[in-house]
Amino acid sequence: MSVDVEKKNVDPNWEPKILSFSCNWCTYAGADLAGLNRMKYPENVRVIRVPCSGRVNPQFVLRAFQKGSDGVLVCGCHPGDCHYVTGNYFTRRRFLLMQRFLEYNGIDPRRFQARWISGAEAGKFRDTVTKVSNDIKALGPNKKFQESWYKERGESNE
Amino acid sequence: MSRTGVFICHCGTNIAAVVDIAKVVEKAKSMPNVVYVEDNKYTCSEPGQQAIKDAIVKHKLDRIVIGSCSPRMHEPTFRKMLASTEINPYMLEIANLREQCSWVHTDREKATDKAIDLVRMAVAKVAKNHALFTSSIPVTKRALVVGGGIAGIQAALDIADAGYPVTLVEREPSLGGKMVMLDKTFPTMDCSACICTPKMVDAGQHPNITVMTSCEVEKVSGYIGNFEVTIRQKATYVDHSVCTGCGICELKCPSKVTSEFEQGMAQRRAIYKPFPQAVPAKPVIDAANCRKLNGKAKCGICQTQCPQGCINFEDEDKLITNTYGAIVIATGYELIDWKSIYGEYGGGQYPDVINGLQFERLVNASGPTEGHILRPSDGKEPKSVVIVKCVGSRDPNKGKGYCSRACCMYAAKHAHQVLEKIDNAQCYVFYIDVRTAGKAYEEFYTRTLEDGAIYVRGRVSKIYEEDGKLICKGEDTLSGQTVSVAADMVVLETAMVPAAGVEKVATLMTISRDNDNWLQEAHPKLRPVETHTAGVFLAGVCQGPKDIPDTVAQASASAAKVCGIFSKAELQTNPMISKVDIEKCSGCGDCAGICPYKAISMQDMEFIEHGKKITRRVSTVNSGLCQGCGACVAGCRPGAIDLLGFTNAQILEEVDALCL
Amino acid sequence: MSDIQQELRKTARELLESGEVGYIIGWGKGRFANQTHPIFVKDPAKVDELVWDDYCLSTLAKYTQDDKYPEKKIGICVRGCDSRAVNRLIQDHQLKREDVYLIGIPCSGKLDPETNEPAKKCVECAHRNPVVYDVLLGSPVEEVPQPERFKEVEELEAMTPDERYNYWADVYDKCIRCYACRNVCPACNCRECYTDQYRVGWQGKQNNRAENQIFGITRAYHVGDRCIECGECQRVCPMGLPLMKLNRKMLKDINNLFGAYEAGLDTETKPALGHYETNDVEEFM
Repeated sequence: MSVDVEKKNVDPNWEPKILSFSCNWCTYAGADLAGLNRMKYPENVRVIRVPCSGRVNPQFVLRAFQKGSDGVLVCGCHPGDCHYVTGNYFTRRRFLLMQRFLEYNGIDPRRFQARWISGAEAGKFRDTVTKVSNDIKALGPNKKFQESWYKERGESNE
Repeated sequence: MSRTGVFICHCGTNIAAVVDIAKVVEKAKSMPNVVYVEDNKYTCSEPGQQAIKDAIVKHKLDRIVIGSCSPRMHEPTFRKMLASTEINPYMLEIANLREQCSWVHTDREKATDKAIDLVRMAVAKVAKNHALFTSSIPVTKRALVVGGGIAGIQAALDIADAGYPVTLVEREPSLGGKMVMLDKTFPTMDCSACICTPKMVDAGQHPNITVMTSCEVEKVSGYIGNFEVTIRQKATYVDHSVCTGCGICELKCPSKVTSEFEQGMAQRRAIYKPFPQAVPAKPVIDAANCRKLNGKAKCGICQTQCPQGCINFEDEDKLITNTYGAIVIATGYELIDWKSIYGEYGGGQYPDVINGLQFERLVNASGPTEGHILRPSDGKEPKSVVIVKCVGSRDPNKGKGYCSRACCMYAAKHAHQVLEKIDNAQCYVFYIDVRTAGKAYEEFYTRTLEDGAIYVRGRVSKIYEEDGKLICKGEDTLSGQTVSVAADMVVLETAMVPAAGVEKVATLMTISRDNDNWLQEAHPKLRPVETHTAGVFLAGVCQGPKDIPDTVAQASASAAKVCGIFSKAELQTNPMISKVDIEKCSGCGDCAGICPYKAISMQDMEFIEHGKKITRRVSTVNSGLCQGCGACVAGCRPGAIDLLGFTNAQILEEVDALCL
Repeated sequence: MSDIQQELRKTARELLESGEVGYIIGWGKGRFANQTHPIFVKDPAKVDELVWDDYCLSTLAKYTQDDKYPEKKIGICVRGCDSRAVNRLIQDHQLKREDVYLIGIPCSGKLDPETNEPAKKCVECAHRNPVVYDVLLGSPVEEVPQPERFKEVEELEAMTPDERYNYWADVYDKCIRCYACRNVCPACNCRECYTDQYRVGWQGKQNNRAENQIFGITRAYHVGDRCIECGECQRVCPMGLPLMKLNRKMLKDINNLFGAYEAGLDTETKPALGHYETNDVEEFM
């Protein structure tokens, strides 16, 4: 049975759910700075604070898609600037592979992104989340990997 | 069932103007485990905090969520508040409703929806929080200062004066660093050696200071309060415990070598003190240039001449290990190698194009010319001197992008000295800007102008020799005309760059470096002397270019930080660190390989399995070393290692709550 | 082949009689002529139960994991795949080299009992000779280069995302979550697999597409940088799912991104996710 993927009959008021894992020292600080500077960006991005992008287990990303997220963004300090010296070098390897692997499993690569955003780059934070948000709005709701597939089709699948 | 209290802050109108607080409160009431919700004008204020404390008692709350400004702002405040209640300070989550919601959004409805989501995520996470407790580690009250320039000397003296033992390590044979090479110091023009050498002597004689010259840090392990440091004492071939510093050996040594201290403008012997006021005032042998040690001749004259018999050609490097509670890094700077990047200035082919430190030695009464400004090429007094600023600084294409900060002032000082010491001299200063931010600096610069220094705004584009003169061509960008000055001598005020070997020090202590290799402070404004490695502090130019007053101030600041650590018998550790579930741990060791702090080690532990006593390899975390990054946690496939405060279960709950 | 079988039995008898090993893990005859299964021979009198024929498909090293603290050495028959599995387990600190005696057997490939054609995992094998052993029976066979190591992966990569999604969704729909792939895999050697940790909630127990997708992707990601390409997961899958297409995708990207890599050829080369280079490929600027 094949899933009807991507947008069809999308509610015009539909807002995507986008999850951003942000490291406490750089990207989270950059996002706070965006606030201090009263920059504006779409409301549909929610940030989960982690100490380091190296803390982000790729399974969290899978979980987000499964539970209904339309896009996931993992952000950390620039390589070489990691508060914990080397954490983001591992992040880079993990997500270079995970991004390709998700794509191989049929996820549009625009739905999963990783970016380096420093504590000073409030503008980059705004621009990145705005772009990701716009991309995902254009893609429409994500149906892939989602539990809802199972729920919609009821108990008979159990 | 847990009992969660939710407190939503208006932050005056900062949050309330955009987010519909009443709606957030209403929605929060139906979130899982939430038993009490209230909003407050200013949660961080005294009455706001009191309201939380009262609610905790009244509603028997066991954890709380605060919807307010960024946790980076007030998490410590609220943790502190909880410490005076029945609730553990770590049973707290903060939803960032200000910096990441009300301040960045305008659509009231959507911002309110987002605020509700953020609160729901925090509520979901806090349900999985556990009480965390700081533990204490003992402090070794002994400090290590790396680098014996003015920064290291000042830091060592301050710590020692506070009553704590200090080891001051310097890789050169004497303390003093760059400052002791200088002639006068701006803006007061007091003699650099006259104010620096007494400090060196103080450090050398201080009962609490152990000076270790010709030494380098070889290995560092451990953590704040308990660093185990191995220092390499390089072979000096002179037994300093016996040597009286009489200097006969130096007089008799037949090997003449270019003097580093005199910036290549004079010679020293192979057995030498770098300069007469060296501390310790005892010579060392430069093995590469000693005829006996490099095998070029039998020699050994110093050994036969030494009345104390302290020359030992069999001397070898020694490794000395000791424990220190805190470390100050003061490795300083060197000048950029302009010859390799500025071919247009002759690339070193003209001996009368010199750098600022060479000029310092030329003008110094104890220097190679006894303080007479004479050209290195022919020993004649230059009548026309060109000073070029920003050689290598503010030049991202060839040199460094940054400003070296001290050059504007010492260029003014050099111009002043030229005009003062040479009759009828002319002095031209090519500059991009004149930056004189400092007490009495601008006045000093103005005085130099009054002395007759001619400031030309523009870079020198080329220096070449013509008829015995050095022709400096440049553009006066104020008048737009090309300028050509025929000079007898040119002084290049070159950029400061981190001292060679700083990478090794940074790696040993896991200090990060910026793009230009300066050591990175923990925060550019609020933690300027700390590093990201707890217990390691920065002093002086190793952190970035600065002049002597700033260097000394930073050194004293780092000393104050060290004394702050030493004033406690024990240190509290961060409880948000990795923890191993040994039942799940299969001992693969991936976590240990990932940890940047060497905080994880693999240990053999005894277990009973199926009635049999076995030894199983499991991972253990050193709570003093772990900084709580969690990179190991994401690398552990079965999740046997978890990060307290950011556990897998907590983050999964947050993800689920958002996607609801 | 029967020469090697004779030699194997002789070696096994000597090892057991001398007390050098406590038992030998090898292959024994199944109920049907074209079947073998792993057997554990403890008694020197029973070494004739060991066989070496066209159907010795099981990779044996994982069976050491049921006896992690052996009183005596364990003797294991190792071909290329088994020996790489041994290296895998040693590198993951799940097996000590001194706890095993490796009886090396060069292997020219086995037959699929269903079709009597060469087995898929053997056709794709790049290391037929054991890479580590204590004794070698017979003489080394010629290695067959595998230029088409990633051909199946490339075929999938050429599809559109939706085609790929549907392809995999069909695969995951068939998965019955028996975990045979995990249990047989020498890289799956955690004490407690994440799938079994219901309290943390990594993964639901339900057998539905969404949970199966999470399992399938996570399994491949967990073993991807350490997969020795023995193909056992795919061979043992009762639903015949193409699991190596997942594993090889990880390996293909690792090879492309971080340099040529084959797992289990030694015990020193670090898996891609266990280390990093500061100048790794940068795509996240």
